[in-house]
Amino acid sequence: MDTHDINPGNVFKDLVYTIILSALIAAFLTFTGITTKSFVINLIVSQSFGFSVYSMIHILLWVFKPEKMASVVFIVIMGIASGTLIGLQMGYFAVRQTLSIALNQQENSLLQPIILAITFGSVASYFFFTKARLKVSRGEIQQERIKRLSSEKEALEANLRLLQAQIEPHFLFNTLSNVLSLIDTDPASGKSMLVDLIHYLRTSLSRTFPDPVTLDQEMEMIKAYLNIQKIRMGERLHFRIELPDAIRQYPFPPMLLQPLVENAVKHGLEPKMEGGEINIKATEEGDLVRIEVADTGYGFSSFQKAGVGIGNVRERIKLLYGGKAHFIVEENRPNGVRAIIEVPKHDIQSHPC
Amino acid sequence: MIYKAILADDEKELRTYLKSMLSKIWPELMICGEAQNGRGAIELVESKRPQIAFLDIKMPGLSGMEVAKRIAGLCRIVFVTAFDQYAVEAFEREAVDYLLKPISEERLVQTVQRLKNQLDSSTEPPARLAEVVEQVLSRLPGRGGADFLRWIKTQEKDSVRLIPVEEADYFKAEDKYTLVITKEGESLIKKSIKELAQELDLAQFWQIHRGTIVNVSKIDKVSRSLTGRGILKLKDRPELLTVGRNYLHLFKQM
Repeated sequence: MDTHDINPGNVFKDLVYTIILSALIAAFLTFTGITTKSFVINLIVSQSFGFSVYSMIHILLWVFKPEKMASVVFIVIMGIASGTLIGLQMGYFAVRQTLSIALNQQENSLLQPIILAITFGSVASYFFFTKARLKVSRGEIQQERIKRLSSEKEALEANLRLLQAQIEPHFLFNTLSNVLSLIDTDPASGKSMLVDLIHYLRTSLSRTFPDPVTLDQEMEMIKAYLNIQKIRMGERLHFRIELPDAIRQYPFPPMLLQPLVENAVKHGLEPKMEGGEINIKATEEGDLVRIEVADTGYGFSSFQKAGVGIGNVRERIKLLYGGKAHFIVEENRPNGVRAIIEVPKHDIQSHPC
Repeated sequence: MIYKAILADDEKELRTYLKSMLSKIWPELMICGEAQNGRGAIELVESKRPQIAFLDIKMPGLSGMEVAKRIAGLCRIVFVTAFDQYAVEAFEREAVDYLLKPISEERLVQTVQRLKNQLDSSTEPPARLAEVVEQVLSRLPGRGGADFLRWIKTQEKDSVRLIPVEEADYFKAEDKYTLVITKEGESLIKKSIKELAQELDLAQFWQIHRGTIVNVSKIDKVSRSLTGRGILKLKDRPELLTVGRNYLHLFKQM
């Protein structure tokens, strides 16, 4: 954002204003009798002041590119002060050169040039000051707008995270029913199911915060989820998780795998009468971590709506990695779905959510 | 009279639980069969002729609601569900029996009392149930109206890729087949553009030419060429598509 836009158009406009202003000041000084010099001399001196003040302010603005109001004020004052000093010398020099009149500074005392300088300085500073303030406030409005937009985006992302952490009510109540029943029939299984549920709930609720997690933590949560589903579905569900020790501690964005695994259960295996298998495999391939979630379930019929989960995963991968990550959904032979995520392993830590 | 009932739930543990609770609350009730999916439930009802069916709503194969539509005239139905907002609201309104999982004892006592009253007073199950179920089913997301194509299956070297249909920028006829063009590239679908046009949601995809269908949400602008044809520009894509004369009416100003 440019609060002091030095474009040729503006520079030229300012120069014209300065010339007009200097001429008016010279006329004012001559006709009110504040100085005893002729209009021509006043005009030359005044134009010298104008030009040097104008140049100094523009040079300083261009060099320092101030962002804050206070620094703009400071630079304008510095410009006027240095411009006045230079302008005084320039004015005397110009008068001497053009009219061959040597102005004796002693003789005229310092009163006249000082009056000239103060008059010019105050008019010029008022002029430049209001102009600069306008630009700064315009800049501030823009900054405000950018800030608002980015906070809106943050709020949106927070909502998204909440959505991700939302626990499927079907899953929750069915699990609790199972625990209730197992308390009578098989207390040990009931207990371990409850432990898994607690682990799953705690992790997925804490994932509302964008702390980076390790691949290991993410897989532990998935294992808890699948353990619960295993008790519910019995022989209809088998699963295997392959996670080599070498990549266990790699950071990984939370809640990216979970929707894929839940999809595999919900849309792949649960509706299929004979059930099936879920295989989760993590591997390291060069600079990439590749994770595959494959099921032998129903597969997507062409007319089945894509789950919110899949859309979310695609969206988030794009948000986190731009074009550097891949997300592919394909048919698993002979039946089911295979989802593959490939993310650059070095990039993971620098993205918090 | 001794009444008979069947239970249908895909989770074994939950059938066991309901059975043990029923045996406590209504010991005279005879559980004459258990099913773990919708089809099994229908078979049981047809073969055992129970007066009551406890049906879990979410089951593989046919759901409890679909089963109910088929057996509504044959027996009284109690739906069992973990969480189905739509259905529960409708059941509440229409006084259809339902149980929420985890099933509480008090609630089951109430349900059993109601069933006993109904069975003792009349022998005919209420006919209205099928209507209520139909109504609930039609309100479920993804069930109402026609189904549209959601996933495009494309052949890639040795795998079949699944692309959500909304990611397609446009489709282009390629002999008997069709090319789908997405941000990631293009791939071939083994379907003619004519077949595809019949499966796509017409609110989301417009045919703009004999051989072209575009995703409406990806259209940037349409302009007229000197010869009177339309030139269509898509967002974030360099190529220009031609709008056939017969399709120009789609872009008439409102």
